[in-house]
Amino acid sequence: MRSRRWISHFGGMFAALLLAASPVAAKDYLLTGAKPDKLVLVDAAARKVERVLTIPGGGVAPGTIVPSPDGRIAYVVSNHMGSVSGIDLDSGKQVFRADFSTGDLRVRSLFGMDVSPDGKELYVFQAPVRMLPGEYRVEDTRIAVYSTADGVGAKPVRLLPAPRRVAVLAFSKDGGTLWALGWDLYGLDPKTGAVKETHKVLNWTRANHSPPDVLDIWPQFEQAATLSTPYFTARTDLAATDPGAFRTGLMTLDLATGRMDMRDFEDTSAVIFSSVVSPVKRTEAYSVYTQLTKIDTDGGKLVKRVDLPHTYYSINVSSDGKEVYVGGTACDIGVYSTDTLDRTGQVEIAGCPDQGIASLRVIRR
Amino acid sequence: MKHLTPINKKARLVDQAVENGHLDEVVAMQVVVGCASTMDPGWEVDPFGSVAALCAPMEADLYGCSDPCWWPAQVPDTINSYPDWNAKAASAQNDWRALQSVFPKD
Repeated sequence: MRSRRWISHFGGMFAALLLAASPVAAKDYLLTGAKPDKLVLVDAAARKVERVLTIPGGGVAPGTIVPSPDGRIAYVVSNHMGSVSGIDLDSGKQVFRADFSTGDLRVRSLFGMDVSPDGKELYVFQAPVRMLPGEYRVEDTRIAVYSTADGVGAKPVRLLPAPRRVAVLAFSKDGGTLWALGWDLYGLDPKTGAVKETHKVLNWTRANHSPPDVLDIWPQFEQAATLSTPYFTARTDLAATDPGAFRTGLMTLDLATGRMDMRDFEDTSAVIFSSVVSPVKRTEAYSVYTQLTKIDTDGGKLVKRVDLPHTYYSINVSSDGKEVYVGGTACDIGVYSTDTLDRTGQVEIAGCPDQGIASLRVIRR
Repeated sequence: MKHLTPINKKARLVDQAVENGHLDEVVAMQVVVGCASTMDPGWEVDPFGSVAALCAPMEADLYGCSDPCWWPAQVPDTINSYPDWNAKAASAQNDWRALQSVFPKD
């Protein structure tokens, strides 16, 4: 009798230990924003909104979203692009907040933001204007660096000089370079802001081609550790009526090696806003606007294109590379097979609030 | 200065600046007042000179363009001047009737 009780007692403990030691396997979650002040966490496989969190003092629209490396906190620009809030995805509490404007200096963050790979510092591109009695004085742009441990009320620990018009910030995998996409792609020293190297984009010296047109405010580089964005260019040696006169290509930056490539893949026939590279096949990319496009970046060719039910701005990809998610603009996220580009599901946000320009990120939890 | 009466806001600011000894701070504006984070046509006509490649439907693009002041002065600016313009209309497609015209306060 006593031995049976002993066995059942310790057996129960042992089972409990086993459960504690083997957590549920991490899976993909999508992270996006919705008007006016919401962070939305989506169970990707279940095609279901897991939770909707409120950004305190969030204003009318969330903007750039950057998840902490451990997937537990979402840093989001809000409050009319005047603040960044860090929301704990489990408790829903605001665990970090920086308001940018002080005194007569009105500061807005225009899109570029990233967190260091160790999660300790948050880098925010800022555009300040000094509000004087009879004048607005535009000041130099900068990257404000915050210590994430400073929590609510954080002030910059340093300000880095930054070229104007930086709309995407992306850390290299090793944290040694902060890539800034502006007119060109600048590799900055995160400690000083010094430009260590520059990959020419707008200032490329490609014979017989106009400077490329790049529009990118969407950080979607985390799955393949590759920053990608479409570009458009015109052949200056062809008549404008020539079908080959306008070309669409994809710019890719490998965040591990720092290698950058710009490769055309079609005569321009559709507008493309943003793109993402497959984590399992690095020469395959997908892009989105009113069509979903699959691109072979190695061969420089269009593989497949399908119409979407409406325009989407953002796109991200599952960790197994099997599906892409299209988001931004309205209140749904479409799910598509990367193999066939068939629509295999969708996620609706209750109440149908617009996602607008909120980022679409993938995290593992 | 006592024989001159200010008749608009800027002139009153100049008067105040003289009184407070801040005259040097009142200078001619060198920037356009308004809100446009970029000059990037794409609302009225698409890159092909048509309308077919504009965002579809138009409502899909409305807040994505107006909230970051993507193009100048097409709709009220929610970054600085009219921060609550679309606060009660979170869905452009469903709530557009709640959007109002705005008028300068001064």
